[in-house]
Amino acid sequence: MVAPVILWLGATLVYPLVSSLALSVENVRIIGSAGRFVGLDNYLSILSASAFWLALARSVVWVVGNAVVQTVLAMAAALILEQTFPGVRVARTWIVVTWIVPTIVIVIVWRWLLSTSGGMINPLLIGLGVINEPVGFFSTATSAMTSLVLINSWRWFPFIAVMLLAGLQRIPADLYEAAAIDGASRFARFRRITLPLLEPALFVLTVIGTLLSFNVFDIVWLITGGGPADATTTLPILIYRTAFKGYRLSEAAAMSVVAMLLLMGLAMLAVRTLAPREEGG
Amino acid sequence: MLRRSLLTAGALALALLASGLAQADPVQIRLWHMEQPPQRVARVQQLIDEFNKANPDIVVKQEPQNWGEVYAKAPAAIAAGNAPDILFAIPDFTTVIKGLGALESVKDFTDKLDKQHHFIPATLRPYAYDGGVWAVPLYNMAISMWYRKSVFAKAGLTPPQTWSDWKKDAETLTKAGLYGAGLPANKHLYTDQTVYAVLVNDDAAELFNDDGSLRFNNPKTVEAYSFYKDIYKFSAPDATNWTWGEAEACFDSGKCGTVLQFTVISTYNAQGGDPADLGVVAVPHADGLKDSNTISYSNAAMILAKDPAKRQAAEKFISFILEPANYGRFLNMEPGLFLPATEDGAKAESFWSDPLAVKYKAQIETMIANSQHGMLFGFTKDKVMSSIGAISAQNIIAETLQRIVAGGAAPADAVAAGQKEMEAAAK
Repeated sequence: MVAPVILWLGATLVYPLVSSLALSVENVRIIGSAGRFVGLDNYLSILSASAFWLALARSVVWVVGNAVVQTVLAMAAALILEQTFPGVRVARTWIVVTWIVPTIVIVIVWRWLLSTSGGMINPLLIGLGVINEPVGFFSTATSAMTSLVLINSWRWFPFIAVMLLAGLQRIPADLYEAAAIDGASRFARFRRITLPLLEPALFVLTVIGTLLSFNVFDIVWLITGGGPADATTTLPILIYRTAFKGYRLSEAAAMSVVAMLLLMGLAMLAVRTLAPREEGG
Repeated sequence: MLRRSLLTAGALALALLASGLAQADPVQIRLWHMEQPPQRVARVQQLIDEFNKANPDIVVKQEPQNWGEVYAKAPAAIAAGNAPDILFAIPDFTTVIKGLGALESVKDFTDKLDKQHHFIPATLRPYAYDGGVWAVPLYNMAISMWYRKSVFAKAGLTPPQTWSDWKKDAETLTKAGLYGAGLPANKHLYTDQTVYAVLVNDDAAELFNDDGSLRFNNPKTVEAYSFYKDIYKFSAPDATNWTWGEAEACFDSGKCGTVLQFTVISTYNAQGGDPADLGVVAVPHADGLKDSNTISYSNAAMILAKDPAKRQAAEKFISFILEPANYGRFLNMEPGLFLPATEDGAKAESFWSDPLAVKYKAQIETMIANSQHGMLFGFTKDKVMSSIGAISAQNIIAETLQRIVAGGAAPADAVAAGQKEMEAAAK
């Protein structure tokens, strides 16, 4: 029973990993071309390049930005969906729609919504008096990264909301009733009951969300391509560009090995520090 | 008697089997092209069906790819021994495939085709270097400036010829509530193209010195980037994110007074535009110069097949496409975008009889005239530096502009940084 799983993992995980490691110590430029062994040269080269560290820093901004926005939106949505009101069943089902829509559709929709040539957002903001003239949402470093974080969060927060909702529904109602009888405010009930009991779900979502966010490539690449002036060039974008635009496949492999080690380290750190403690053990 | 009949029947069966085997084994040609929109795939298929019917010993099959992936996919296919027999190309992509040792010169073939159809020199030049010709030009694309005659007339303007005119017109149109100059500043091929269209109009077309060293960082290049920066002020605020589609949409929606584009005909027409109101002129040139140039891209077909029978079949198919009776239909897979690469193609009835070509004949004639003055970065000399593939693929020309308009760098500093990037890419 275990053999097919091991074979599957070997084919999909171990082989690409070993290939990347082997590639990272050679000097292959174009996929399929020959290379020679260069030891750790690629690692030294990328670790001494500012482009790598800048991309890593942008990845951190990206991950933290997404984590904060998605968690806040998801928590709010989950708390609303936990209530009973007409249409809540429909809302619980349809909230996941952004998560199901293909990335390319999301990219096209948002590019056009935010466009200054026929997009709806600029006229809306002008109508509301927020801005005086159309703005380019991807034209400066800050606005481009912010816009991307919001678009990506808009896409993924329903997934987290559904997970949190499942966690919320497992919290016994009598705890809230007892707290209410004891005179606890809504906020106190949220802080003392909801948050602690959601901790396991939040922990899992933090670890998985960080790993998933870090590796997001499609939305960033399709919307800004890493621009303007590299402002949204996160590590996955830099790796892709180095491999398939710069024709430095081995350098890109070295970057991906470093990224993988960083993520593994981060995941282990999270398990050690953030994992909910078993009480009374 | 029976024995004789059996022998005859056996011989007949063998003959039928042999001919059957021969018929069952036509030369298979796999064609990779990057013209993915459904109407283009359908038009290519129509021509393939006609060719296959007329040549029962050859079967051509198309396998559409996309430009975003083919730079990685084609080398991988070549390395795996699974390369297509014909692969469409643009000049810098050809240097990548040639660098893998996957190409043989097709000079004899292009010489033969040139005698028959007369290639427009600008279309062949980017593929003729290092003593050979590495792909067969199929169609040309050249950037022009597009405007609405009525908008210019209302503003009291005439189409610009020089940079001073262009700036004055852009200012006036912007005051009239439009984006006076629809120009991109994305790190994208489109911006590479529009920036180069400005560079070639200031004698800054050469990226390389004769010895192969880079000469991007020079006063003319800085001057051209400074001009682009000045006129970019009149573009849309989201132009740092533009590709061809957004620029075209800006023009079609009436928000952009001018755009630099290969064509806007198809979308303009789809929006019900008046052909008589659509203006097209050459990209304006620096004030000190006399004539305009532009960037032009000829797309071509590389023959990757090694087997002589397959190469011969591939040549036969390409010859079929370039026949004037077929060529116009091939070009009109996207009417008003793909321009003829041959002189007889430019006169072909099959090209001009397309309804859109009939409606926009004057504009297409101007596009063809502009394309005669086309140049392409890295392909302006007899010798081509293979590093142009990496420079082009990394959009360093566009990135240099982004440093100026989005990063706030001075043009001289950005161009110097651009040269360093190019040198790193060339290593």
